[in-house]
Amino acid sequence: VTEATNPPSHPTLESPASPTDHTSPSTYDVVVVGAGPAGLTAALHLASAGLSVALLDEQTGLGGQYYRRPSPAVLARAGDHRPAGSRLVAAVRAAGVDCRTGTSVWGVGDDQRTLLTCASTGPAAAGGGGQVTGRYLVIATGAYERVLPFPGWELPGVTTVGFAQHLAAADGVPVGRRVLLAGSGPFLLPVACSLLRLGVTVVGVAEAGRPYRLSGAGLSALRFPARLAELAGYAAQLARHRVPLWQDRVVARADPDAPGQHVQSVTLAATQAPAQPLAQFEVDALCVGMGFRPQAELPQLLGCAMVTDPASGDLRPAIARDGQSSRPDVYIAGEAAGIGGARQAAAEGARVAQSILTREAALPTTPHPPTSHHQPAAARQASRTNRRHRRQDQFAALTSRLYPPPIELATRLTQALPGDVRVCRCEAVTAAQIRAAASPTVPSGIDAGTVRALTRAGMGPCQGRECAPAVGALCGTGPVAPAQPRMPVRPVPLTAIAALATPAPDPMPTSPMPVNTVPS
Amino acid sequence: VTGSLGPADVVVAGAGILGAAAAYHLARRGLRVVIAERAAPNREGSGTTAGNVHVQAIHTRRPGQAVPVDSERFLPLQQAASQRWARVEDELGTSVEYQQAGGLMVAETEEQAAELKAKGEWEAAAGIPTELLDGRAAREVLPALGPTVVAATWCPADGYANPLLVTQAYLAAAQRLGAVLRPFTPVIGLARRGSGWRTLTPAGHLDSAAVINVAGPWLHRIAALAGISLRLTPVAIQMHATVRGPTLLRHLLVQHIGRGLSVKQVSAGNVLIGGGWPAAGLAEDQRPQASVASMAGNVAEAIRILPPLAGLRLLRAWAGPLAATPDEMPVIGPVPGAPGLFVASGTYAFTFAPLWGETLAALVAGEQPPVEIRDLGPARLMEGDQFAPLA
Repeated sequence: VTEATNPPSHPTLESPASPTDHTSPSTYDVVVVGAGPAGLTAALHLASAGLSVALLDEQTGLGGQYYRRPSPAVLARAGDHRPAGSRLVAAVRAAGVDCRTGTSVWGVGDDQRTLLTCASTGPAAAGGGGQVTGRYLVIATGAYERVLPFPGWELPGVTTVGFAQHLAAADGVPVGRRVLLAGSGPFLLPVACSLLRLGVTVVGVAEAGRPYRLSGAGLSALRFPARLAELAGYAAQLARHRVPLWQDRVVARADPDAPGQHVQSVTLAATQAPAQPLAQFEVDALCVGMGFRPQAELPQLLGCAMVTDPASGDLRPAIARDGQSSRPDVYIAGEAAGIGGARQAAAEGARVAQSILTREAALPTTPHPPTSHHQPAAARQASRTNRRHRRQDQFAALTSRLYPPPIELATRLTQALPGDVRVCRCEAVTAAQIRAAASPTVPSGIDAGTVRALTRAGMGPCQGRECAPAVGALCGTGPVAPAQPRMPVRPVPLTAIAALATPAPDPMPTSPMPVNTVPS
Repeated sequence: VTGSLGPADVVVAGAGILGAAAAYHLARRGLRVVIAERAAPNREGSGTTAGNVHVQAIHTRRPGQAVPVDSERFLPLQQAASQRWARVEDELGTSVEYQQAGGLMVAETEEQAAELKAKGEWEAAAGIPTELLDGRAAREVLPALGPTVVAATWCPADGYANPLLVTQAYLAAAQRLGAVLRPFTPVIGLARRGSGWRTLTPAGHLDSAAVINVAGPWLHRIAALAGISLRLTPVAIQMHATVRGPTLLRHLLVQHIGRGLSVKQVSAGNVLIGGGWPAAGLAEDQRPQASVASMAGNVAEAIRILPPLAGLRLLRAWAGPLAATPDEMPVIGPVPGAPGLFVASGTYAFTFAPLWGETLAALVAGEQPPVEIRDLGPARLMEGDQFAPLA
């Protein structure tokens, strides 16, 4: 599966990352991590009110996944697929936000508030690191795509739906000519429509659940006419193009045209019996996605209280209504705190900004005292964003009622997985190896951490981000989130770490001193 | 607390590498062994260590160290431990990735080079082969060494075993021989009962003639349950692993005579960087966190000694606990005044684990241990004669 979460290698509108060689932390009123809808909106409101704001993102351009900016060539040819994104990015720049793109946040300093950074791409990626801190931190890191393994999931031509959407919407490039989409969740429908607009033959859309009928849950969607109309609109487009929308179907396997070559066919099965093939389809691309998972490593590293979502098993930060985490100076906005889509993310970004501005207005002395008339205005705005947000929350809750719980899907699909399928691709660990380590016949006290240690599943460069749901389901333990947050969040050049050593290393002992003992 | 958890000749507190090795050797003698582990096996120091099997002498003078390791006393034990490791894979019937690729101890100053020379004499006396090299010769052995290295000792016996596999292999072998592992079963009480001991857990109690307390950084807490005070200090140190890289170090263990640094590349290609740098703290029921200051300091030293590491990325940093003795020496033996109660912990527990496992089993059986350990007993950690039997 080719994922969409890696920074693109092609040039973009943004200037290349400025070298992040600051040895002492740059300090701002607010540091926002993640320049998607949530982070952009928060940064815009905060900077417009006069606060100094840094906006960090590991992509080379602002916009995140949803508002990813097309390349100049695509803009010239196809225009802007999301003009609202261009307007938001322009407003953020005009508001004086210090935009640090191409910057990965890989850790948190020993003071528990300094963010440690390195260049995520380009020539500087092999170089030094940086440090940035703020009186407030806003974490808006978004989500990962949730993927579950199946026979053939590693074949060329098998991608996530998110990757196909980027290619289609931002770059105007179809992922294939005959494409099948499979997985679960509302995101499959708009991606299928994006492909249709490019002239792709969409072979069909396979949804693991049965969301598209007027059940009790479906009827209550009528209370959210805008979102329902949007989904219905996508479904109507698919129907016009005679694209089948199969429900209760999952990918049983994908097969190549020759061993190890490009995907050529997809076999579907019923969700209840994933190993029993029902129908086979010729394709040249297969796009899969089981929804999204919060990207919540930074809140965990910052010591924010975390909760486990019972339906998905995902770890996410516990937040108050205004997005505040258990740490008063750390706010979470957008999908890092729970999956709700781009609209909800932007609303949360606004709400977090309002909460911070309300607090700032209440402070007797601040570096940028807002004028007194801001206070009632801020309260009014907060009330509006709260109302809007409640509606969004309800829609997110409805979505989770319509589609099958991810943890159930993961359990069902991994149980049916043939033993030779690689589940952890970084360390090449198969389903059989994980089952053997997790088997109660293995004479040991087993938990997910033990399985991880015995098999190395989840110990490679992706650090388990991709395989954690599948490994956890195979172990029968729920997702394998490390009990403790671990640095680095992303693999970081040793040179960027060594640059933080103070004072500069010399051959004589310096502080901090190693302790009296050495590892055995 | 409910009833008895079943019959046991020996209760082992802690399923780290020492507990696992002791359980294996006890079970091999036909004794009924129950291992009580508060969480999952191999989760703390034994699973977080770098896996070094240290044979050549270690740092004798480290920053902040009040008492130097007594290398003359230590080296014969290291030699015995190394010889014991050579049989482990055959005994357990599985690979634990044990290898003797050798190791270099480097020096960057003339003073450090002189220390290398001095330790070479002790090593020769202990029968450990080491060779003193100048900087150029050291770089011929390992071209990755940087220009600041002025001398090094080469010891072909330095080794490595995979710490994620060894404890599990010992536990599996012990269980095949009838030992019972009770994970997620903390010891919450320990008292004399008749001529033996009663161990309390939330699931029930265990009565046994002998108890082996190998709870690592929590050893002194379990001893305290029986009214025994031991001067052991829990310490958290941290480790670092890079992404897989091309072969740079030929799997040698690279250490520094004067600085906290140990580096090696494991079979998978990851480079492990450690050296006893302190982690951010040690809480009773939580993993200590890696400290950025220690990470930066340790990584900077590693790059200075091994410049090609600069091209790699750090994949993981983690912290693990260990138990430090005031004199930097291991502790192993019967607790004076508490017949049937044994402890093992302290310096280089991973290196010594196979030897200490066999030693503990011999002590329980009342036999002569394979090495002389009378001077390593816990008496020196006890504050006065404070143990009073609990009737």
